[in-house]
Amino acid sequence: MLTMNKINKIYQTDMVQTHALRDFDLQVNEGEFIAVTGPSGSGKTTFLNIAGMLEPFSSGQYLLDGVDVGRLNDNQCADLRNQKIGYIFQGFNLIPDLNLYENIEVPLRYRGIKAAERKRRVEQRLEQVGLASRAKHLPQQLSGGQQQRVAIARALAGEPRFLLADEPTGNLDSLMARQVMELLEQINREGATIVMVTHDSELARRAPRNIQVVDGQLADFTLYQGNPAAAVGA
Amino acid sequence: MLFHYLDLSWRSFKRTPTVSVLMVLAIAIGIGVTMTSLSVYYMMAKDPIPSKSKQLHHVQLQTMDDGNTYWSKDDVPFQVTYQDAMNLLNANLPYERTAMYKSGFSVHLDNDQIKPFKEPTRLASKDIFQMFNLQFLYGGAWTQQQQDDVAPVVVISKRINDKLFNGENSVGRTLYLDDMRVQVVGIIEDWDISVKFYDLNNGSFKPSEGIFMPITMGLANEIFTWGNTNGWKNESDRTFSDLLVSESLWLQFWVELENAQEKADFEQFLMNYMIQQQSLGRFNRDKLSANVFNVMELMEYRGVVKEDNKIMVTLSFMFLAVCVANILSLLLAKFLRRAPEVGVRRALGASKWQVFYQHLVEVSLLGLFGGLLGIVIAQLGLWGVRASNGSYNTIANMDLNMLLAAPSIAIVACIIAGLYPAWLVCRTTPAVYLKTQ
Repeated sequence: MLTMNKINKIYQTDMVQTHALRDFDLQVNEGEFIAVTGPSGSGKTTFLNIAGMLEPFSSGQYLLDGVDVGRLNDNQCADLRNQKIGYIFQGFNLIPDLNLYENIEVPLRYRGIKAAERKRRVEQRLEQVGLASRAKHLPQQLSGGQQQRVAIARALAGEPRFLLADEPTGNLDSLMARQVMELLEQINREGATIVMVTHDSELARRAPRNIQVVDGQLADFTLYQGNPAAAVGA
Repeated sequence: MLFHYLDLSWRSFKRTPTVSVLMVLAIAIGIGVTMTSLSVYYMMAKDPIPSKSKQLHHVQLQTMDDGNTYWSKDDVPFQVTYQDAMNLLNANLPYERTAMYKSGFSVHLDNDQIKPFKEPTRLASKDIFQMFNLQFLYGGAWTQQQQDDVAPVVVISKRINDKLFNGENSVGRTLYLDDMRVQVVGIIEDWDISVKFYDLNNGSFKPSEGIFMPITMGLANEIFTWGNTNGWKNESDRTFSDLLVSESLWLQFWVELENAQEKADFEQFLMNYMIQQQSLGRFNRDKLSANVFNVMELMEYRGVVKEDNKIMVTLSFMFLAVCVANILSLLLAKFLRRAPEVGVRRALGASKWQVFYQHLVEVSLLGLFGGLLGIVIAQLGLWGVRASNGSYNTIANMDLNMLLAAPSIAIVACIIAGLYPAWLVCRTTPAVYLKTQ
C-alpha cells in the first residue's frame, strides 16, 4: 500500500546540509499497524510528513496505493491526501473557532461531499469516539483526551485507508493514552492501515509491527509477538 | 464553499475585532474620500441625455470680423446672435431645431394664497420639448400657431405646478409672470439633469428652469436675458431693439441631426448661410467657420469637467492606495498569525488554491463592509460639498451606479491588498506548523 524506495530528504541552508532521511526503504501493507520509534531528531516526523505528502522529498520513489507521489503537483497531492490519508497529531490541531462537528467536517468539505452525507459521517464518527452529545462544544471546552478523540474522529471522517499518527498520546496522561490507543486498535481491526510515530516504547509494543528510525535510516524491524494489552498495563 | 468561507470570514472578524474594525475603517475612509471626488467627477462627466446625445447638436458661428478674438479654444463664440438664431430657426430645413435663452420672472397667482417667488424661465421655440425628451404629465407643447401669434402661454414643470396648483392638472389655468398674464398649456416632469448642457453659459450645474414660454413672447414683450450677453463690436445696445439687430451673442441654438450625412448637409447649409450673410455686410472675415457639436463633444469642448476635478480624483485614489497599503500590512500580520491553522487545513486536504480563495473571500467581505461604511462617509463628504458650494447641488450626489461602484471599488482594493498576504499564507509548508500548534 505504501512503498518508499531510497527516499532521501535533505534540508539545505546556506552553510549546512542536513540529511533527515537517507536511502529510506519501507513497505507498508494494507491493514498493518506499525509503530515507528527512534530517538529525537532521528527523522521519524520527517518520514511521517513525507508519507503524508506534507513536505516533498529530495530523491527516491514513494508510491502510495500505486500512485507515484513524486510526479504529483501540489493540488494533486492535496487531493490524494484528502482521499487516502487521515492525520492525528500530538497537539490535536483542532481549529479553535470551529465546534467539534465543524472540525470533523473540515476534510469532508474539501472533498466536496454534500451536506447530508457530511452530517451522516460526522455523527457516526462522533458516536464512535463517544462525543456525540458534545458536538456543539468548542475544542477548548474539552479535556486533552477528548480533543484527541475528536482529532481521531476527524481523521476517520473521510474514511481514509491510511492513518498517520504523530505521537498521538504524547500530550495525554496514561489513562487517556490507553483509551486513545484502544481506539486506534479498534480502528485498525476495522481495516485501516495505521502508521504511528511514538516515543513511548510500551505503547509501541502494542503495535503488531515496530520499526526504528536512527539517523534517518530504517535501523531495525521488530514484530511484536506478545499480548498488546499487557504492554500498557491494561 | 463560498458560504462556508463567508462564515469563516465572519468568525475571523469576531476573533480579532480591533484589527478588523481598523481595517474596515481604513478602507471606509479611503472609499469615502474617493467616492466623494469620483461621484462629483462622474456626475459632471456623465452623458446627461444618453438617448439623444449623439443626435442633438449645438451650433456656434464664427460671426466676429477678422481681428477680433474670443476666449474659446478655437476663437468661435459660444452663443449666437438674435439675427442668426431667427434665420436658422426660420430656414427651410427638415430638422427639428430650437433657439433659446434664459430669463426669469416674479411668479404669482391672482390670489393671496401663494407667496410670489422668482423663477428662471427658458424662452424657446416649441421643438425644445420633443428634442430634449421632456415628458408631459398634462397637456402638451404650445403650437406653431400659438408661437407665431405670440400667444401668452407657458409650459411649467411639476415642481412649479406643485407649488402653484398643488399638483393638479392646471392646463388652462393662468398665472402671472411679473405683470404678464399667461395660460398653462402643459406640465412636464421636472427636468433633472446633472449638467445643464443645453446652456453652459450661465452656470453648468445650475438647475433647469421650471417655466418655458415661446421665444416670440420674449421678443414681443422685450424680455431681456438673465444670462450672459457677449459683444465684440462697438454698437448701441441701449434698447431691446438695439439688441435684436446687434452682433451681441446671447442665444443658444440646437438642432437635431440623425446621422453623419444630415450633419454634413447642415454644416454645408451653415457655410452657405455665412457666405450669404457676408453679402449683407456681416461675417467680415477670410475664413468662415462654425461648430456643430453633439452633447458630449460640447461638454468636452467647454471643459465641463475642470482640470481641478481630475486632479482631485487622482489625489483621492492615491489616498485610497495609502489606505490599501495600511490594510496590506494589517492583513499580513493577521494572516501569518493564522499559518498554523492553514497548516492543519492543508494537512486535511485543502489545496493551496482553496486556502488562497478562503482568504480572498475574507478580504472581499472586509471590502464589502468598508465599502458600505464608505458610502456613509461619502454621503457626508458630498453633503459638505453641497453645503460649501450651492452650484454643486445637482452633481454632488451618488446615483445608483456610484452606490454600486463604492463597494465594488472597496472589494477590488481589499483584494489587491489581500493578494500578497493570501499568497504568502497559502504557500506555507504545513509540516512546519503541525508540530508547533
